Amino acid sequence: MSKTAKLTLLGILFLILMAAPWMLNSYVLQILILTITYSMLGLAFAFTLKVGLPRFDIAGWWAVGAYTSALLMQKAHLSFWLTIPAGIIIAVALGWLIFSVAIPRGMMVFLLFGMVIVLAVEQIVGSVSFFGGWGGTGMLPHPTIAGYTIIKKPDLYYMGLFFLIVNILIYYLLYNSKIGRAWNAIGSSVKLANSVGINVVRYRMANVLIGNVFLAVAGSYFVAYSSVVAPSTFSFPNSVNIMMYVVIGGISYSLFGPLVGAAIITFIPEYFRIAKEKEPIFTAIAIILIIILMPAGVIGIFDRRAIPWFKRVRWLSWFTNKAKES
Amino acid sequence: MSRLLECNGLSKNFGKLQAVANLDLTIAKGEIRGLIGPNGAGKTTVFNLLTGYYRPTGGKITFKGEDTTMLEPYQIAQKGLTRSFQQNFLFMQSTVLENTLTGFHMFCRAGAVKEFLHTRGAREFDRECREKALEIIDFMGLSPMKNELAGNLPHGHQRALGVSIAMACNPSLILLDEPVTGMNPTETEEMMTRIKNIRDRGITVVLVEHSMQLVMNICDRLTVLDYGQKIAEGLPEEIRRNPRVIEAYLGKEENSAAA
Repeated sequence: MSKTAKLTLLGILFLILMAAPWMLNSYVLQILILTITYSMLGLAFAFTLKVGLPRFDIAGWWAVGAYTSALLMQKAHLSFWLTIPAGIIIAVALGWLIFSVAIPRGMMVFLLFGMVIVLAVEQIVGSVSFFGGWGGTGMLPHPTIAGYTIIKKPDLYYMGLFFLIVNILIYYLLYNSKIGRAWNAIGSSVKLANSVGINVVRYRMANVLIGNVFLAVAGSYFVAYSSVVAPSTFSFPNSVNIMMYVVIGGISYSLFGPLVGAAIITFIPEYFRIAKEKEPIFTAIAIILIIILMPAGVIGIFDRRAIPWFKRVRWLSWFTNKAKES
Repeated sequence: MSRLLECNGLSKNFGKLQAVANLDLTIAKGEIRGLIGPNGAGKTTVFNLLTGYYRPTGGKITFKGEDTTMLEPYQIAQKGLTRSFQQNFLFMQSTVLENTLTGFHMFCRAGAVKEFLHTRGAREFDRECREKALEIIDFMGLSPMKNELAGNLPHGHQRALGVSIAMACNPSLILLDEPVTGMNPTETEEMMTRIKNIRDRGITVVLVEHSMQLVMNICDRLTVLDYGQKIAEGLPEEIRRNPRVIEAYLGKEENSAAA
């Protein structure tokens, strides 16, 4: 696709997204708001996958952002907008402390640390009464802007769209800079990246911490539209689900893969709502079918450069390859 | 001749196995040095030690007068010592040009913020790097396929690309690990000329190779390893006649008689 065609397509997509609140009812809008949040989480996974590190700790940092916002608003009566930078600072500072131990020890240690982080965060916010316990925090105040309370679905939707677009824009700029080139190099071969003078640990650390920034923002956004924050949202299975968004969308499409994947995974269960408690079974079957039939992800079937499908089962071979290397 | 790289008493043990034992090695500026020996003699281990991929169990490495024994691989690369790998380690999903550009990582610095915002200065810098990369690609004879994905190249070209990535780092010493493995005679011939050209550019070359034809033809001096120990060093002519070397390669007289 030429550059103009791409820009036109993006422009149309943007207009459709901007017009969505006029065309959709508040139920679908609510699902779109969820999609936006999950997209940001999926983006973070794809972002760190670039440097060859699979993140299982996404829900943990999401929780850090959410709980910082929730508690500061509830207990310190801080404005919502001030709690966003607070969440970012805590997520980055904690992340730096933990990852300066984990990242130099390679991919496997990073992966295990991620699992521990998610489980630990869930346990801590659940069992320490300061955080509100397993039942979650009480009712949260709504964010306001110049006296106007953001509570209607369209307003919340636009707010999320703003966060998402900023997130995508910054990731895009990073991917296309020298930093992105170094990240790509680390992702495809740690050994070779080292041999051309790339400080792998430092570049990985930068990547993971930038990921944490947007995870904290996603957490704050969650607080804005959710009236209560409870530990069950940030459980380990949810963290694994985030990986699914990326796989379903297409693991090699770092920017749009997570968006498409998140949209599909958020909407599929809604279609199977009719099956009531058997809904997860149908959702699982649908996901398995998508993975078998479209190994390069949903975007992969529209990609003309796409290689034969059997070579596209990269999400499986990915882990085995990486494990060998780092 | 000035000394570029020097190691004294270099040793590496893997458990009880002594892969490199008490190796003294001096590389002079501007030479092509061959490192040869039977399989498992510890040649690649020496490379891994010199470039920081392994930590030596003992001994000291000095590069350009600085102690590099305990440095990380990327720090050693930044000091101007780069290498190619035995296997084809390439950025397989990127094109030949992108691969080579990655090698420029250390130099094309327009500043993080400028890079990030794609300012004019950064784009200018990028174009300069591209030109330099194209020059290296041309030097390695890869210009016809500069936009091919590295993964789709034939084996010989992948080996050449490995060398051009190392060349892009602007090294003063380059370590080539079996640069002609799996190449046909024409490709080997071409690679030999290129290695000589690399030296003519002022880059010192150390290579590990099994092809005796290549080693005897282009190396100024040879170092022979066996069981991690240096058994001989000298001009190719001397090495060819050295009884210890012949013994290492073919086995002792008595052994062959007994068998």
